[in-house]
Amino acid sequence: MEEEAETEEQQRFSYQQRLKAAVHYTVGCLCEEVALDKEMQFSKQTIAAISELTFRQCENFAKDLEMFARHAKRTTINTEDVKLLARRSNSLLKYITDKSEEIAQINLERKAQKKKKSGDGSKNSKQPAEAGVVESEN
Amino acid sequence: MADDNPDSDSTPRTLLRRVLDTADPRTPRRPRSARAGARRALLETASSRRLSGQTRTIARGRSHGARSIGRSAHIQASGHLEEQTPRTLLKNILLTAPESSILMPESVVKPVPARQVVQPSRQESSCGSLELQLPELEPPTTLAPGLLAPGRRKQRLRLSMFQQGVDQGLSLSQEPQGNADASSLTRSLNLTFATPLQPQSVQRPGLPRRPPARRAVDVGAFLRDLRDTSLAPPNIVLEDTQPFSQPMVGSPHVYHSLPCTPHTGAEDAEQAAGRKTQSSGPGLQKNSPGKPAQFLAGEAEEGDAFALGFLSTSSGVSGEDEVEPLHGGVEEAEKKMEEEGVSMSEMEATGAQGPSRVEEAEGHTEVTEAEGSQGTAEADGPGASSGDEDASGRAASPESASSTPESLQARRHHQFIEPAPAPGAAVLSSEPAEPLLVRHPPRPRTTGPRPRQDPHKAGLSHYVKLFSFYAKMPMERKALEMVEKCLDKYFQHLCDDLEVFAAHAGRKTVKPEDLELLMRRQGLVTDQVSLHVLVERHLPLEYRQLLIPCAYSGNSVFPAQ
Repeated sequence: MEEEAETEEQQRFSYQQRLKAAVHYTVGCLCEEVALDKEMQFSKQTIAAISELTFRQCENFAKDLEMFARHAKRTTINTEDVKLLARRSNSLLKYITDKSEEIAQINLERKAQKKKKSGDGSKNSKQPAEAGVVESEN
Repeated sequence: MADDNPDSDSTPRTLLRRVLDTADPRTPRRPRSARAGARRALLETASSRRLSGQTRTIARGRSHGARSIGRSAHIQASGHLEEQTPRTLLKNILLTAPESSILMPESVVKPVPARQVVQPSRQESSCGSLELQLPELEPPTTLAPGLLAPGRRKQRLRLSMFQQGVDQGLSLSQEPQGNADASSLTRSLNLTFATPLQPQSVQRPGLPRRPPARRAVDVGAFLRDLRDTSLAPPNIVLEDTQPFSQPMVGSPHVYHSLPCTPHTGAEDAEQAAGRKTQSSGPGLQKNSPGKPAQFLAGEAEEGDAFALGFLSTSSGVSGEDEVEPLHGGVEEAEKKMEEEGVSMSEMEATGAQGPSRVEEAEGHTEVTEAEGSQGTAEADGPGASSGDEDASGRAASPESASSTPESLQARRHHQFIEPAPAPGAAVLSSEPAEPLLVRHPPRPRTTGPRPRQDPHKAGLSHYVKLFSFYAKMPMERKALEMVEKCLDKYFQHLCDDLEVFAAHAGRKTVKPEDLELLMRRQGLVTDQVSLHVLVERHLPLEYRQLLIPCAYSGNSVFPAQ
């Protein structure tokens, strides 16, 4: 039993390491882009620090999201939870809200197309479109 | 001594007892010296804890131990320093050593009553110390097995029995024995009760352990007494109130400027009431308790209602008002309280104190802890004519704090009728802060500048003062201002978060769940530390009953909600 727990923990640890490595790589790529853009070099320690920070912040985000979902008595994390998480920074919140509206609209349009395919006529296509417009305005 | 534990698992205690039993015949020396040498060897090398280890080792190698003791007795037969028999000393140690056998209370019970050593010993453990102090306990202890049953019955009466029977050795001796066979919890309770007892203090009558109960009734009676004894002529009062009648008029206007739309009418009434109180002149120090006492004594209930009104919204409002963090914000009532607090302050103190009171009365909507309010109240407390009023008055306020809305309505009804009782009640409510307060230094009664700050931020000044107090070094004014700004933003942020959390759960009211979520995000509440733990740790006891479900549901562990 203990051995199993140990191996499990080792597996988790290695998994975590791989995740960290992936984050590090991504951060490195992004930093390179920014360096090219601003013509400013990034030292390796900086990239390492940023990647570590990102990783820990992702952990925090995950815990917060779970807490928010539980607070709303749900078991699934919602876009509402994500918006709540991003409320601190205004620009980020705006960006996320816009994105979420886009996604909602796309979903509605897809539903409209499906209903159209099922052969309900042009009426349905108009209604979901209007609803989508209304929602986007909201 | 023959009461050996029937269980095969023996505690070190029982094993040591066996050693004591068996060791005697084996010492070739004179019994006394041999024992002395043997016991001294034990005693020299051990504190009580180490002794337990030794007893274990001795117990395991009982026969060997005895022989080794015998051998050491040869070596150390030079003479016993103690005149007491080592046997009795060892018994003392057994008695006074901490009882580690929580799992087997019975094994402890029997030996404990059997131990009756008259010599004084350490006062560490409960039972031992109690028994040792009282030589006359010996006869009762032999009855111990018979008394065990009544002891169990008496468990619930322990408190009262203890208090009654402090000077009665018998009852004391019965309690530890009777309770010793109960759970270790009771034993620990015994410990807490018994340890303060010194061997010499047994002869003295028992000190009152319960803090004097503070009740509203005492307030009324006390004020009646005051009224009967002292009634100052109004002329002197008028003279005293004149110097600060003007600031009195000025300050209510400040608070009127605050947005308080639904109750402007009430505030006007209050203003009039405030002026009325001034003119009626209960401003003398001697008179202030007297006159409010008149009203209060006449209508103690209304006085309590006023106290309620003050308490409900006092949250740091004025020095006199007690802060009840329960209901931090009924804004209207708060403004009223500020005004009345001002008027009250006028009445209570001399002119110099008045403006400072007003300044303190700038308290604001922030929910502050009771300590904070007590801090401000304490400043005014010394100003009050008597500290006794404080104790009794403050007692009234905590008890009455719960019924906020009723008190507010009562206040509004009674505004015109009794302006004076309001200050009196407030005086009373502030007074008990004095004995409770320890930390805050009394504020200097200087004629401070008029409140030029925004009253909304005024409450933060209290936190800033706390901050500077705990900083223990002088701080620049700009630094304090920055601290205030930071605090302002912090609290605004917190409240925004709370609002968002409530909306996230589809509610319009902020509930404790929202607060728990907030504290979890802050890292104060973790999986190890729950909100209730923090409540118990940091809040005063009254809030425990309000916040912890198992407490307000009458101590049922899983309350039906």
